[in-house]
Amino acid sequence: MTHVVECRSVSKSFGDTRALINFDLYVGRGELMTLLGPSGCGKSTALRLIAGFDVADAGDILINGTDCRETPANERRIGFVFQNYSLFPHLGVAGNIEFGLRLQGVSRAARRTRVTELLGMVRLQGLEDRYPHQLSGGQQQRVAVARALAIEPQVLLLDEPLSALDATVRREVRTEIRRVLQEANVAAIFVTHDQEEALSISDRVCVMNSGRVEQVGAPREVYARPETRFTAGFVGNTSCLRVTSLGGGRVQLADSGITFFVPHNIAVGESADLLVRPERVTFAESTVSGPAAVIESVIFLGTIDLVTARFDGSSQLITGMYMAGVRTPVVGERVAVQIDATAASVFAR
Amino acid sequence: MSRRAFRWLVLGAVIVFYAVPMLSMARFAFQRVPVVLLTWDTLFSRWTIEPLVEAVTSREFRRSAFATVRIALLTASVTLFVLMPVLVRARLAGRRLRRVVELSAIIPFVVPAIALVVGVSGIYREWTPWLLRSEYSLVPLYFVTALPFAYRTLDNGLAAIDLRTLLEAAQSLGQRHSGAVVRVILPNMWASVSTTFFLVCTVVLGEFTIASLLLKNTLPLYLAYAQGQDPQGAFGIGLLLTVVSAVFLAVSARVSGRLVGTGVVR
Repeated sequence: MTHVVECRSVSKSFGDTRALINFDLYVGRGELMTLLGPSGCGKSTALRLIAGFDVADAGDILINGTDCRETPANERRIGFVFQNYSLFPHLGVAGNIEFGLRLQGVSRAARRTRVTELLGMVRLQGLEDRYPHQLSGGQQQRVAVARALAIEPQVLLLDEPLSALDATVRREVRTEIRRVLQEANVAAIFVTHDQEEALSISDRVCVMNSGRVEQVGAPREVYARPETRFTAGFVGNTSCLRVTSLGGGRVQLADSGITFFVPHNIAVGESADLLVRPERVTFAESTVSGPAAVIESVIFLGTIDLVTARFDGSSQLITGMYMAGVRTPVVGERVAVQIDATAASVFAR
Repeated sequence: MSRRAFRWLVLGAVIVFYAVPMLSMARFAFQRVPVVLLTWDTLFSRWTIEPLVEAVTSREFRRSAFATVRIALLTASVTLFVLMPVLVRARLAGRRLRRVVELSAIIPFVVPAIALVVGVSGIYREWTPWLLRSEYSLVPLYFVTALPFAYRTLDNGLAAIDLRTLLEAAQSLGQRHSGAVVRVILPNMWASVSTTFFLVCTVVLGEFTIASLLLKNTLPLYLAYAQGQDPQGAFGIGLLLTVVSAVFLAVSARVSGRLVGTGVVR
């Protein structure tokens, strides 16, 4: 596969702060890669280095095979969509979209055609003459995407483009962005700290932490098979159980006598963290066999309820998930915990 | 006294404070009735713009006026040309450089005009004696004099926009940094740019000391001279300048007001 973007061992520091450490990333044509991580993990820094707004301390950044270390930002032909819209307030929608085309010396007629085409793509026909302040946040961000795509960029970079939008508009715009990028068949790198956003629109996700890449993979792969404790904890909800191996796949909760079976090879006597997704946990009636627990809280989230229970004689908690409409245990109810441990991740302590 | 009444009282006092001197100037400039003979019967008689016409058609006035306008336009242009890139760089570079620039910009507040002239004229004599003989020798001095006002106005304009993001957005679309400042930043701070321009022009139009010390024939010097020779004409010109300045400010405000419709209100 030909890579449109290649970052090889890229590092960047700001004073004593190491923002990016040996960062490797490969993005193919038409692929939507998401950099996912908490604030300050280096994802925006990576994007700014690729765009040419900042200069890497070490490592190589190649765009379509060409080392662009010496290429200034305005010559990289990289589209950039910013968090805070960044539309030029003195220009209308059409003026904003054709800004880059004017610089390329594209004729007036061709510019008109391209503007119409892009407005159709982002579904904003008829708004050519509006000014940015006359548009909603979602509309502004779609114009920003159209403006970035107008120059037919080699790669499109989106730096938390949805974070300034409210939840409903956010879902709508992210679907639009996904559709537009597929239509344009352009390589794109999308930065977000929202795991739901990352999992829902990406071809691949790159999970980052403290300037380093934790894991790169398809959304389902990253969710189902996290390679690091950080990934397991950051992507999706997990319950972290501290256990000690008794051998033969049997483990014991660290602070109680409760034992259960985990199909992982953990050496006898070794301590480990067992990370379990809520959809792999079921709370059965207390008469059913399984570790006993008492329901501590039930959090209603609309389509699901998150139910947390405390193991008997232990301080450890485990969370399960119930779809709306299903009978949910109530706080204080005694239950038997059933864990599908085949899907659990185990990390030695 | 109610709050509303107090507001009207203050507004009335301000109007009186400005209007009375202006009306007095107008009466002195355009009415040929000595003040000792002024009564309600003579208040509206013998008004004429003849003294003003005579004054503005004189060769000395035209020479000094045109020279002042040339110096004002050049100073305002130089100020914007020099200050804009420096302030943009300072805003992008961070707090430390901004403090240095701010300090440098407000220093002229504490430098007396005489010290400035003595220092700079020494440099002129040594390096560019030809400039000392030219009226344009005033431009660098007026630039320094207007610097604190120009700095504050432009810096406020820059603070009101998302400078870094707009510049980077323009660059990502293929625009060079300098081009981005001209095509994206300037249009988005039009109000503060035009205000700076008029402010610098106003400083030049009212500056007396430096021009007097360097023996340049500018409008304020001509007005000071004309007050002794033709007081009515000089007052007429003074009033005319005030009206012209007010019109400039009104036009500037209207342009800014129109830009409200486009989102460019900084």
